Amino acid sequence: MADLTLRQIRKSYGSVDILHGIDLDIKSGEFIVFVGPSGCGKSTLLRSIAGLEEITSGDLCIDDEVVNDVPPSKRGIAMVFQSYALYPHMTVYENMAFGMRIAKVSKAEIDKRVRQAAEILQLTKYLDRLPKAMSGGQRQRVAIGRAIVRNPKVFLFDEPLSNLDAALRVATRIEIAKLKESMPNTTMIYVTHDQVEAMTLADRIVVLKDGHIEQVGTPMDLYKKPGNLFVAQFIGSPAMNIVPARIETAGEVTAISHIGANKVTVPLATPASANGTEISLGVRPEDLFIAAGADYLFEGTVDYVEQLGEVQLVYVDIGQADLPLVTKLPGNVEVKRSATVRLNANPGDLHIFGTDGCSVLQPQSAHGQTGPRL
Amino acid sequence: MSATVAVGRARHVNVWSVIARTFLYSFLICLGVVVIYPLIWMALSGFKDNAQIFGDPFALPVHWAWNNYVQAWNQGVRGYVTVSVLVTVASAICTVLISAWTAFGLTRTKMPAKPLVVAIVLGGLMLSPTVAIIPLVKMLQALGLYNTYWALIILYTAFRVPFTTFLIRAYMLDLPGDLDEAATMDGASEGQIFWRITLPLCRPIIISCVILHVLFAWNEYLFAMIFTSGSDVQTLPVGLTSIMATHGTNYAVVFAAMTISALPIVIVFFAAQRYFIRGLSEGIGK
Repeated sequence: MADLTLRQIRKSYGSVDILHGIDLDIKSGEFIVFVGPSGCGKSTLLRSIAGLEEITSGDLCIDDEVVNDVPPSKRGIAMVFQSYALYPHMTVYENMAFGMRIAKVSKAEIDKRVRQAAEILQLTKYLDRLPKAMSGGQRQRVAIGRAIVRNPKVFLFDEPLSNLDAALRVATRIEIAKLKESMPNTTMIYVTHDQVEAMTLADRIVVLKDGHIEQVGTPMDLYKKPGNLFVAQFIGSPAMNIVPARIETAGEVTAISHIGANKVTVPLATPASANGTEISLGVRPEDLFIAAGADYLFEGTVDYVEQLGEVQLVYVDIGQADLPLVTKLPGNVEVKRSATVRLNANPGDLHIFGTDGCSVLQPQSAHGQTGPRL
Repeated sequence: MSATVAVGRARHVNVWSVIARTFLYSFLICLGVVVIYPLIWMALSGFKDNAQIFGDPFALPVHWAWNNYVQAWNQGVRGYVTVSVLVTVASAICTVLISAWTAFGLTRTKMPAKPLVVAIVLGGLMLSPTVAIIPLVKMLQALGLYNTYWALIILYTAFRVPFTTFLIRAYMLDLPGDLDEAATMDGASEGQIFWRITLPLCRPIIISCVILHVLFAWNEYLFAMIFTSGSDVQTLPVGLTSIMATHGTNYAVVFAAMTISALPIVIVFFAAQRYFIRGLSEGIGK
């Protein structure tokens, strides 16, 4: 069991700043996923926690003890690498036993722990094999086993599934989820750029961009209440549609107009000063549906249809240059290319973002703004 | 019609392919004969007497005179072989260990001014042994190492470290850094990472370097001639010239001595040939 506290963690390589003051509290037993685009600093943050990267400034605490200068092996942390990082000249058994042999654990104890981990990960019959004689999924399990045998307080995963094919990725993802269930007191931090992994595994997701935390929350929080435009578009697939709009009437409910169709009333309170303000209107593809009557949000022509069987992605040209509106409709709805369609969404499913990109629904953003800035 | 044309074209291609292959094999066989035949001739001449060497140089020995080999062995070759083995093995171990440790430092550690250090170490490749001889003689005399095994061991090590480091460093650069980090997470020190992870993974290039060093040290003549004068500390190349001077007219014994001196190196090369080629041509498999 271990609580992690990150206070103003900064990391720079020369004059290049990678992490810009990360503040984060991770509770014991949590499964935290760092997600973000390439170069956002998620792996650097993970490696800083592991102790493989030196922190430029700030404090990293494990169970209230500052561990900035504690060597990686003394932090009670185990890490599973993206490349598995198995020692190619050692058997599976030797790979898993290596850390304990270094720590001069007794042979009997090493044997017990290795066989226990191998049993959990179904690796018992492969203990005498070299890594090169194993499949990608089996190697990944060995890497996890090597971490398990050390009984770590904190587990770190650095994009562990990125080298696996799609089917194996799903299977291994489920294994990791089960592993977490079997180790409820172990804190796990997982880095990925795959939002499906993030959504399915995490207790809380930390969305990073350019070395800043954009938002921290449960998967559904991030999906339902994205704090800003970046999170809104990063979480969810296909990404949320963003349409330029204007506030026509501010008040208890807000009336807005946008390109492509009607004025719409959104159940959000906005100040009177917001009248006439340019905003961004966001709506998820899965929240759009074909309008039944004269009441609709968007009208446009069908540009392209991607039929996926259960659902279909319909790209509708509503007059936004280069950016068609994407809607996810049931696969059995007949939609013809070049046809005119009217789309609607429930007002509660609409998102409004101010000029600074922050959500009006989520005025308290990760950057510390205290209210909507329209 | 088109099928007939295609078959004709395929035959045409096949003919040229066969001709090219025939030329290639012929060339390689000729090359092999040019390299191997003198060695075989030398070994066979060791079994002849002078009359047959001069009278019928290309024939097989009439009587297989093993005595020439026994005589060569007893009249100095044994001592020279012992010294050569000692100097070669000791300098090979020193060279490879120092070079591997240096390469590890140059590739795996965060040291300041690393490019400069790399340039200095690899700059040793450009140092000609010949121009350094006089200061080296003075230095080794001052240290009391002149005319000892140590003189050759130290010199062979010093002059081969840059090249061996160059080879091992290139190999180590291809080893994934994740392995070091995984070992660090497992609690290994830098020394443990070197001995237990990096060095075993460098086995192919280490074997290649050992073979290259053995070839060098076994055949080296200049330093051996200048830094050793007593027959008890002379290596084979210098010893062979002594044998030639002593048995100048008995060519059979000289050929026998030469064959004995060449034999270990041939055996070592063929025994480790697989690793030698792999080490120089291949990186690590993921």
